[in-house]
Amino acid sequence: MYKLTGVAKLYHKGRRTVRAVTGLSLVIGDGEWLAVQGRTGHGKSTLLNLLGALDRPTEGTVELDGTDVGALRETQLTALRAEKIGFIFQTFNLISTLSAAENVEAALIPLRIGAADRGARIAAALDAVGLADRATHLPSELSGGQQQRVAIARALVKEPEVVLADEPTGNLDEDTRDDIIGLLERLWRERGLTLVLVTHDTEIARRAQRVGIMNNGRLTFGQAADSAPMSVPGPPAPPPSG
Amino acid sequence: MFFITYLRRELRRRMRQAIFIALGLALGVGLVVTVSAASAGVKKAEAGVLSGLYGVGTDVTVTGPAVLTGRFGQVKVGGTGDLIANANGAEDCQNGKCEEVPAGQSVQSLGAPYSAFTSAHVAAVARLHGVSAAAGGLLLSDIALTIPRNHGRAGGPKPLPPSPVFFSVDGVDTGHLELGPLSAGTIASGRSLTAADAHSDVAVVDSGYATSNNLKTGSTMTIDEVKFRVIGIVRQPQDGGSPDDIYIPLARAQALELARGSAATGEVDMIYVAAASAADVPAVTREITSLLPRCTVTTAASLASEVTGSVTSAAKLANDLGKWLAVLVLIAAFAVASLLTMAAVARRVREFGALKALGWRTRRIVAQVLGESVAMGIVGAAAGVGLGFAGAAVISAIAPKVSAVIPGSSRAFSQAAGQAAGGAPTGELDPATAPRVVAIPLHPSVTVDVIVLAVLLALLGGLVAGALGSWRIARLSPADALALVA
Repeated sequence: MYKLTGVAKLYHKGRRTVRAVTGLSLVIGDGEWLAVQGRTGHGKSTLLNLLGALDRPTEGTVELDGTDVGALRETQLTALRAEKIGFIFQTFNLISTLSAAENVEAALIPLRIGAADRGARIAAALDAVGLADRATHLPSELSGGQQQRVAIARALVKEPEVVLADEPTGNLDEDTRDDIIGLLERLWRERGLTLVLVTHDTEIARRAQRVGIMNNGRLTFGQAADSAPMSVPGPPAPPPSG
Repeated sequence: MFFITYLRRELRRRMRQAIFIALGLALGVGLVVTVSAASAGVKKAEAGVLSGLYGVGTDVTVTGPAVLTGRFGQVKVGGTGDLIANANGAEDCQNGKCEEVPAGQSVQSLGAPYSAFTSAHVAAVARLHGVSAAAGGLLLSDIALTIPRNHGRAGGPKPLPPSPVFFSVDGVDTGHLELGPLSAGTIASGRSLTAADAHSDVAVVDSGYATSNNLKTGSTMTIDEVKFRVIGIVRQPQDGGSPDDIYIPLARAQALELARGSAATGEVDMIYVAAASAADVPAVTREITSLLPRCTVTTAASLASEVTGSVTSAAKLANDLGKWLAVLVLIAAFAVASLLTMAAVARRVREFGALKALGWRTRRIVAQVLGESVAMGIVGAAAGVGLGFAGAAVISAIAPKVSAVIPGSSRAFSQAAGQAAGGAPTGELDPATAPRVVAIPLHPSVTVDVIVLAVLLALLGGLVAGALGSWRIARLSPADALALVA
């Protein structure tokens, strides 16, 4: 469970100080799917970086399962990311020289899992995203949708508690977008993941349990897109099972 | 395993750049190997010159002042017996009384070209602090002159001085065979002198002299009317130039001199000294100079400093230009490798940011980048060593001969005198100080040390390049890396 209290993130651009995120208090429950919308440059990615332990807050605290992420040393943050958090990026960020299976394997390297177990988990992850027969293909030999599936398999292979997805369908066509979101939704349901998904797409956001809108570094809640913001920043009911 | 797979695939992806970096390192390393090999070859050539002049175990050589000088057209040999050749023929002088050598007759003269030391001098030198051994030697020059039958007559040859037949005889202390000129030689056939030969009429002959005079082990030869049996043929280092022709026991050489009345019992004209250690050589040199102030004291270092000619130019070229050229190329290779690696890292920020997000530690990513650079370094080292061998082979194939100009010295006298008499020099000549030119083939040698150095240099190049690239990765926060992606 995430608990953010009075979080602000300031950046210095020359003499100017930019408040990318400010006055953010938020609880994200275990197994919740939160969609975050907002215009470019309004703090969505900064929020995701804070949740993903990629950055520390300038003010306030970010707690994951009761641990103050901002107080951890760099090596502890790295271990936290390796064990608990899976990332899915808009541009996939696959390593171009490695095959689909090897890209998935890259997420298991920090966990020091034995070769046999590693192989089984990679195969299962690729099977879960429907790419068991593409294990040896290089990213350049896969379509955009397939590449994003590999990225999802890479995020899920370590069995994380949290998946943070930054515009996962931003580079995909409409049909592929639906496939990917359908896949994410299925995996979220099956695995009880906590899913935070940043998207511009209102249709995708509507499928989330909760929708937050970032505006000038502040997060407000609504049902999606242009809906009136909700005032209570708390977790909704647990996700439906099955 | 993942490390190797990732490394291999990445290097294959940027193969052209990897080859470029490896070739740059290889060029630098190859130059280092070639220059080092050439330098080693030059040093070997220098050492050959010195050991040939000097003897392997000898640290210091003491020579008395030269007693003779020669002029164009004249040959003199020391002692009471002088043989003077001139345009009119030759005069044989004994105890100041000279007789003209009749046409058609031969005369022979044997003598020592240097002032003598007594056995007490040798013993005094041996007792000096820092001296581990001292041995006397007696260098004699034997000159035989045949006046043509029609010399100076109408229709005869032009009235030029007749050419003498010359050979040098070295009296060797058989009790200290580890010192002196014979110690540098290799017995080609027969055997060397031993302590048991001290009073025997036996000789070891230089291989070159033996060939030109058709001498073999078991042959008999005459030195100043005494027959000597050849017991061995010795091959002296080629680099040392003209060696002495004949080596006989010191006691027999002294007996020959004594028989001519030109020396006292037990006299020698050279003292070969071995220092207790290399560090003692300067002190021993000073002590000997103090003990025997009129003598010439020569060490390997002083001899080396007097050797000139292209061997020293080559050494200077290898040490100065070659060394700096190799260093410059290496620095350039390091710089290019570093810049290209940093550029490659800059292009892979997205990749490294993603890996950090996946939970890869910075040091793991750094190790990956360093591994790639070191792999290029290993390829560069292998190619560089190959290039170095090729460079050394080219130098060897071209086989430039370097020359060493050796100043007239104790060991050089006899040969110089021979050249002065038998050759056609012009102008005034002082045989005791006549320089001698020795041509030495240059053979570069690639040693294990150089190969190890080359491999280490290439690896260092790879490490430097990788470290600079890694420095950027280490400073990169995952959020910044991912922000750069957007």
